[in-house]
Amino acid sequence: MNRTDRYTAPWVAITAVLLWGMHSAIAAPAGADYFPNVPLVNQDGETLHFYDDVIKGKVVAINFMFTSCGDICPLETAKLRDIQTMLGDHVGKNVFMYSITVDPDRDTPAVLKAYREKFKVGPGWQFLTGKIEDIDRIRKKLAMYNEDGDELSDHSINFVLGNEKTGQWLKRTPFDVPEAIVSVLLERLQTHSLMASNSRQSYTEVRALPSVGNGKNLFLSRCTTCHTMGQGDKLGPDLLGVVSRRDRQWLTRWLKEPEVMLKEKDPLAIALLDQYNNIPMPNLKLKSTDISDLIEYMQEEERRVNATPKSLLPQPYKLQSIIKNTAETTASSE
Amino acid sequence: MNTDKTSLTFARIHVLAIATLFGLVGITTQAQAKTDVPTALPPSPLFGALSFSQQMLRFEEFAVNPLPAPDVTTEKSLPVPFGCDDGSNSSAMDDFLGKPLWPAPTRLSNVTLPNPWADMISDCIFTTITGVIEGRPPGEAFSHQRWTELGPQVYFETATGGARKNTGLRDEDQSHAYAVGEFGPTISGQENETGLYNRVGGPLDPPGTTNGIEVRFHPKMPIQQSNSLWTFEDGTFPPKLLPVRYGVSTLMRHYNGLPINVSANNGFGEHTLTTHEHNGHQPGESDGYAGAYFFPGQYYDNRWPLQLAGYDSININASDPRASTPCSPGETLMFNGVEKTCDPVTGTINIRGDWHEIMSTHWFHDHMIDATAQNVYKGSVAMMNYYSGIDRGKEGFRCEYDDPDNVNLCLPSGTALDWGNRDYDIQLLIADKAWDIGGQLDFVPLNTNGFLGDRMTVNWLYDPYFDVRARQYRFRILDGSVSRFFKIAIVREFNDTSSGDFPGPTGSNKSYSRIPFHLIANDGNIMEHSVLFPNAQSNDLPIMGVAERHDIIIDFSQFPVGTKLYMVNTLTFDNGRGPKDIIPLAAILSGAFTPMIDGNDWSEDPAVGKFLEFRVQAYSGTDLSMNPADYEVGKKMMIPLVEFTDAELAAAKHRTFKFGRGGGNNSDGNPIPWTISTDGGEKRTSDLNVVSAAPETMGGGVEIWHLKNGGGGWAHPVHIHFEEGQYLSRGDTVFGVDVNRTPPQWEIGARKDIYRLSDLGRELGIPDSSMNIDVAIRFREFAGTYVEHCHNTQHEDTAMLLRWDNEHPGQTVRMPTPRPGWNGVTYDSTTELATIKSGHLAAAASFVVPNQLTADLNWDGRVNLSDFSIFRSMFGKPGLWSGNINEDAVVNLRDFGLFRREFGKGNGLAPALLNPLP
Repeated sequence: MNRTDRYTAPWVAITAVLLWGMHSAIAAPAGADYFPNVPLVNQDGETLHFYDDVIKGKVVAINFMFTSCGDICPLETAKLRDIQTMLGDHVGKNVFMYSITVDPDRDTPAVLKAYREKFKVGPGWQFLTGKIEDIDRIRKKLAMYNEDGDELSDHSINFVLGNEKTGQWLKRTPFDVPEAIVSVLLERLQTHSLMASNSRQSYTEVRALPSVGNGKNLFLSRCTTCHTMGQGDKLGPDLLGVVSRRDRQWLTRWLKEPEVMLKEKDPLAIALLDQYNNIPMPNLKLKSTDISDLIEYMQEEERRVNATPKSLLPQPYKLQSIIKNTAETTASSE
Repeated sequence: MNTDKTSLTFARIHVLAIATLFGLVGITTQAQAKTDVPTALPPSPLFGALSFSQQMLRFEEFAVNPLPAPDVTTEKSLPVPFGCDDGSNSSAMDDFLGKPLWPAPTRLSNVTLPNPWADMISDCIFTTITGVIEGRPPGEAFSHQRWTELGPQVYFETATGGARKNTGLRDEDQSHAYAVGEFGPTISGQENETGLYNRVGGPLDPPGTTNGIEVRFHPKMPIQQSNSLWTFEDGTFPPKLLPVRYGVSTLMRHYNGLPINVSANNGFGEHTLTTHEHNGHQPGESDGYAGAYFFPGQYYDNRWPLQLAGYDSININASDPRASTPCSPGETLMFNGVEKTCDPVTGTINIRGDWHEIMSTHWFHDHMIDATAQNVYKGSVAMMNYYSGIDRGKEGFRCEYDDPDNVNLCLPSGTALDWGNRDYDIQLLIADKAWDIGGQLDFVPLNTNGFLGDRMTVNWLYDPYFDVRARQYRFRILDGSVSRFFKIAIVREFNDTSSGDFPGPTGSNKSYSRIPFHLIANDGNIMEHSVLFPNAQSNDLPIMGVAERHDIIIDFSQFPVGTKLYMVNTLTFDNGRGPKDIIPLAAILSGAFTPMIDGNDWSEDPAVGKFLEFRVQAYSGTDLSMNPADYEVGKKMMIPLVEFTDAELAAAKHRTFKFGRGGGNNSDGNPIPWTISTDGGEKRTSDLNVVSAAPETMGGGVEIWHLKNGGGGWAHPVHIHFEEGQYLSRGDTVFGVDVNRTPPQWEIGARKDIYRLSDLGRELGIPDSSMNIDVAIRFREFAGTYVEHCHNTQHEDTAMLLRWDNEHPGQTVRMPTPRPGWNGVTYDSTTELATIKSGHLAAAASFVVPNQLTADLNWDGRVNLSDFSIFRSMFGKPGLWSGNINEDAVVNLRDFGLFRREFGKGNGLAPALLNPLP
């Protein structure tokens, strides 16, 4: 018996498509027939339809979060804030950033507005809420829905970078080197036209980064979103001298389980929370060896800075990622 | 055509009426899909096409030519497209590709000439650019390494372009020229016999040409539009094959002829490209690094030196005849600036390097960051045969079976040409696809589990048949899917119900039996021993993960002329996570397992079942190919494994790569995205600015890489670029303890580049499925930037990829990170993990090197009396019998000395599993 016989005539498939329209019948970039045009509400109470107003014809960066998320979300939001800063004027013009809550019951427009202000988020990056079933539909269509768990903290920490017009949809995490994300948003998703006139740089102009140990690596990848070493406060305090300033045991525990200390109302922890805009120190899930490496690095850095004449130190923090700074510092040290 | 259109229109109206009447009912009764195949798409219509009603296409060879003389300066320019949504002007392409190479290739990327499409690009992107003609990143970083020494001798040009009709441009460049052997109109020496493969498209097609071959899955199905399918060789079918010879450095000039507008892609595919020569021992700049992509209008020169690994350290005076390349009498070739003439007796030229590293069946494909799955699925795939003295594609010529001093294994191929005969040496590119109601190739990029098609294709055609002679054939099978693995059974059909072991469907008057066949190469590398199937560890071909290759030999002379045989896929998927189950062959053949369309869904995975039919035709020639049974375990060796000494393994650097989910600072168990944790460090998503490992080209050399699957029911076929490895063990982590065991026969004696991590085997006892694999790898000759990733390309594209750099010892400057743009490539700085030089110290400390047993002649993990009786039976025989432990001329007392040293020892691993399946 021929395998085909027991299958189907084409019209069965056509029926199927017309009845349920899972996907556009004819291959084309995912568009109006793929994405739900469900209503969402932004931090100012304005209604935006997901397809028509949020993504249609735009280059977008979308992440999912919730404001009461203790560990990962604040850091994620802070990382995105770095990216927003690097994108500069392009945000709201060439790139649209959205944070959609997965906890719409709690995250009303007002709550989102307060959260946005707390993180000093600039214009052009909107926070959205809506009905949970609509938000879940969006997540499913963006392949950002986790079918294995429905704990809020299981929400995907990926974020989606896409161009609705061209049908390019990529995933990144906010923890990538920010330059790489910025290059996706300003180059690849813009048909490489926005920055096309950039001049070429030859290999010989590229400087190697200094070799970094685990402590510095951790500091650069985990801490620089909110902290600097000697360049002033960011979202959190300047950490230069923190090792001498704080009791070692306290500091170790603060790095290990800040949320527990906050819950226990540790006086210093509470004071820091008050001082820094109620943004809690997140639990970075560091191993004990990581914590000692990190403390050792911060101590060394303190010694180094103290031994360096002031005039040779980098200028105060200028809203650039530390990694970029490092690259520039290395390049200009020629 | 008209009738088709009418019936389609009718169907639409008809269906709309039904939809109006029952639409609501339809929506409310929409059940949970039993199987998400094809992924997020409705079933693909067949347009009345029946299985096994079209002839399978053979691969068409690229036109490979010597480099033009330096004074040839015929300028040419890639034809400019008509508009922003069009690819290269296809009517001008044949003329363009027919002219010799220009400009000449250069060591540094050619940035002196503009992108020939600059004006059109400027109009399309509303920004004035000049661009550069070559997309390879500029400067020293991506310059061709060892250019003077290993510069190209031959080249081929190819343009990736949208689907179009083949015009027969390459007919004359085929090595057989449709004139000799089974490709000829008649077979030389058998003038009354028609060449079986002379008519490319089918028995009704014109003889000896690819002219007129359309890009479509079946003659009853629509022709693919130019932006539905993009292929190498400017959008044409058949799929393409690159035949290369060892030692003959080859330049691939790859033009990007795709539309300037990225959206002109019928829904998927990104127009920037980078080509990876899968498993090639190639310098980093020619490896197809995921971040070194190039743009429409540009070319990228890949230069593949095609040298044996060990070129710098082993057999450097090229004295070992087994390290050799095939040639024609009188032919001269350049090696390190010295002209060498083909040995008129052996028909070979010796080359440098380790002959144990000889490779055979490769493929190359796009490796665009984030878009590899879509681009490869869309057609960016070609195969590549490496020819060597041992595997030269000519049978009956100085065969090893005649005289152990001969090196030619005489694998099934043909006799008409000096090398590269393909009469009986067949590529099988197997891939699942899906298409829309218009018949156009379809894909949903927005999924991370993996993408599955519902239709099986072989060499791009839906369920084809293939005529074979009643003699031995070699098949080079490649899993070219996005996410699908295969487990393939090969059965013959009987026209009665009693002769076969498995009855056919009731009333069909058919029955079926498995046939014996031999596996001779794994991942394109000829094994130490052939493995007969069915065997105690597996009835059918081992599971093939995405990108895995299996070369097998089938002897069709055992069947009467007119017999039909089938390849049957038995491995079922529900979604792209990984294989779900093996369907018993009996259930498939009897029709008890029959996928049906149930509303909008398939009831079962429709890719399970017969997908390729062989039809046995009479053979009046003489089969001069080797008998693979002579090379089974305990008998002669084909290519003995590469040696890793105990001292090397004991001193090896260790690295651990755990493929899982959750990332950033997330706690364990947190889902998506795909991540890799290196050396016990944090889980990371792909970030091309970060180097995760930096082995060195010389010095230490040997490393042991521990590949682990993070769990959760996912399967990850892991691919490491640049160097293949040898298994030390397979294993699983049980309550936090690694339990390692002996891999099955087809992995013990193999060199691999895909390491399949999956827990499918836990319940089924499949011996080649496990969650951990330890491999030994050597890094030599070339430096540069490479990647390692999951070859479920949807996993790869959603971040399960890491960058590693092969560095020169003492190299102080990290390779910069290319950032390509229309105006050329700029560079970012590169950062690194703290462990790139130390590796994973904890893994090194706890690692117990398995005993390497060269005297374990029956591969049971122990050297005992049964090995001794094998040894005794071959004592005194000349040639590479497995008892010839020191690989000299004969099995003698020296080998016995080595044998005795290992007698009584075990390898320290648990025994291999035996497959309890029917």
